Order: sequence, then structure tokens, then C-alpha cells
Amino acid sequence: MIIVKDLSVNRLDKKIFEKVNLALTSGNITILKGKNGSGKTTLLKAILNIIEPSFGSIYWKGKLLKKNLYDFYNHVTYISDKNSSLTKLTVKDNINIWKRFFCSNINNSQIEIALKTLKLENYLNQKVGTLSLGETKKLEFLRLIIENKKVWILDEPLSNLDESSIELMKQTFEDHVAKEGSIIFSSHQNPGIYVTEEINL
Amino acid sequence: MKLLTKIIFFLYREYKLNLSGVQDILTNIIFFFVSIFIFIFSIGPDKETISLIGVGILWTLLLLSSTLSLRKFYQDDFENGNLLIIHLNGFSYGFIAILKTLSHFIFVQIPFLLSIPIACILLNISNEKLIYVFISFTIGSLILSCLGSISSSMNLMNQRNYLLGSVIVMIFSVPIIIFSVGIINLEENFNSLTNILFGILLIVFAINPWASGLCLKLSLENS
Repeated sequence: MIIVKDLSVNRLDKKIFEKVNLALTSGNITILKGKNGSGKTTLLKAILNIIEPSFGSIYWKGKLLKKNLYDFYNHVTYISDKNSSLTKLTVKDNINIWKRFFCSNINNSQIEIALKTLKLENYLNQKVGTLSLGETKKLEFLRLIIENKKVWILDEPLSNLDESSIELMKQTFEDHVAKEGSIIFSSHQNPGIYVTEEINL
Repeated sequence: MKLLTKIIFFLYREYKLNLSGVQDILTNIIFFFVSIFIFIFSIGPDKETISLIGVGILWTLLLLSSTLSLRKFYQDDFENGNLLIIHLNGFSYGFIAILKTLSHFIFVQIPFLLSIPIACILLNISNEKLIYVFISFTIGSLILSCLGSISSSMNLMNQRNYLLGSVIVMIFSVPIIIFSVGIINLEENFNSLTNILFGILLIVFAINPWASGLCLKLSLENS
């Protein structure tokens, strides 16, 4: 599905990374590992066509990504390391906005199950700004379920999560790849998630 | 159909956000009215003088009050990563700029528009002139929203000096104020001045998605 060929990114004449190659097909999980500042987020943003690479090319379904960009965006969910939930609104408002804005085909009972699994069902009427870091992060993951897309691109998804939440993420990843989905995520270390490719930056 | 749904719920999202921050809008309007009172107290009780310069005061204060909200134009969505998510949901940067401008006009400028009749009473502007104030402000505020979009998107790349955006808007607002005040005070030239103001609106409306979109792209690239 996604092929990254000899990708290099320089910023302000500083080399961030060079000649990165990766191939992500259905049912695969790729992990990007590296120190702080090694270019994990930059690589994810380059794959999303947010950052212009200095060299190399990215292909989506066999075509150059730039020529097939909005089809790619129709199939991808990106979770950044920031909290994208609207902090002034309640959890319920955020879910309603996402569901409609992403034209989601997920029904309310599926969302309720996901909320219970993430242990967020008691916070529905609470403003996001009052949730803890871990709870906010879990709310971000709910967007993965709501958007219901094949490719997940996740930046530091395991930060701020406790052990039980990391276990839950492992299970969610396995379920997604079992349904022919694919995942690229960045992390400093792998807490035992089965990955098909590991890229060290 | 899907795009239309997305647009409607983008505006619904903006509505919910503005509703949760309704105190900001109220503060802007309070700032507007308090400033009118300050002008009235500093000029004195002479009705003729107030009436003569009332339109100028009204426009100056509308401009200052609407620039107060500019910092929020893109900043929150940029910082929490929502701009990127909206873009990944199939909205080009230019289209995001158009929708944000529209939402700024609806949720920030229209409350001012609704408060104009009260301001006109305070500034002794005659009822006959009220319709001209409405027309000039409707066109002028759309221009201000477009300029606000451009300056706020430029400010995303400049995290150190937030006032720069307001200064840019104020400099480019000079011709808008000249023609808007002209519409109200020179009724015989109403058609020609309205056409000029409308022409300015079309120019900034055409430039806005291109300029703001480019600034959004560059700021996301460098974030």
C-alpha cells in the first residue's frame, strides 16, 4: 500500500535522516525507533505529505503519493503526539463532532463498547480539559475507531499510558491488522508489540 | 454530499467552540461599548460634534475590536494539531482558510453587526444613516475577516510578536475605512463607493485562500 523509497529530509541545511526505505502492506505493523530528534515525527509527516522531502519518493497504491493524495487521506488516520480533542468541550461533544465531521459509519453501540473498553464511559459529560494526560490520550485513540480507516499513522502512541492501557493498545493493534489494516507508529521502545518491520532512525 | 456534510459539521464545530468561548465574544463587544463611552466622555456632551465624528469613531472601534479576536483565528487549531487533522480529512489549506474566514464572520463579526443600532444611538447617528452603516459594515467586516485570516496565518510562523498581525490588518484597513465612512457620509456617492468597497472585498476574497493557505502549509511544515 505505502512504499517509501530512498527518502531523505533536510531542514535548514541540517540532515534529519537519509535514504529511508519502507514498505507497508495490509496486515503489517511498522515501528519507527530512535532517540529524541532523530526524525521520527518528521518521517511520519513526510509520509503524510506535510513535509516536502529533499530526496526520494513515496508511493500509495502504486502511484506517486502526490498524484493520489486525497485517496490516501481517505484511507489514513493520523494521531499526533498532541492532544487534538477540543479541551473546552465535553467528551460527548468531541465524539459527536468527530463522528459527523469524518462521516463515520460507526454506530452508537460500537462507540459505547469502545468507551467501555477504554474506561472512558464515566467521563462522557466531563470537559476534556479536566481529564488526565492518559485519559486524553485514550480519547485520541477513540478517533481511530470513529474514523474506521485502513492505515493508522501514530506518533508516540504509547507515551503517557499505564501498563493496562498499553496492553489494550497491543490488543487494538492486533485486531486492526487482523482486519487487513496496517499501522506505522513511532516509539522510543517497543513494549512487546508484534511488528513486521522495525526502522531505526 | 459527503463534502457538504463535512462543511456543515466543520461550521457546527466552530459554533460549539465559539459557544464555549462566548465570554471572549462578549468581552469584545464590551470593549467596543466601553470605548464608545470613553470617546463620548472625552469629546464632551456636544451632540453635533459626536454626530459629526460618530461614524469615524464607530468604524475605528469596530476595527480595533475585531482585531482583538485575531489571535484565536488559527492559533488554537494549530497548536492542538486540529489544522492537520482537518487537512487530512480532505480539506485543502485554501479551503480551510475560506471556512475559517466564514466562521469568523458569522461568529465574531455578526454579533458586532447586531450591536450597531445601539452604538448608533449612543453616537447620535441618525436612523436614515443606519442602513448605510449596515451595508458598509457588512462588506467591510467580510474584508476584515479575510485580512484577519491572512495576518493570523502569517503569525503562525511568527511566535514572538502577536501584535504584528493586528498592525498588518490595521494598515490594510485604511482604504476600507475611507470608503466605508464615505458611503455613510456622502450619500450621493453611495453606489460608486459601495462598488469600490465590493471590489476590494472581491480582491481580498480571491487572495485570502491562496495567501492564508500557503502560510498554513508553511507553518505546519515547520512546526
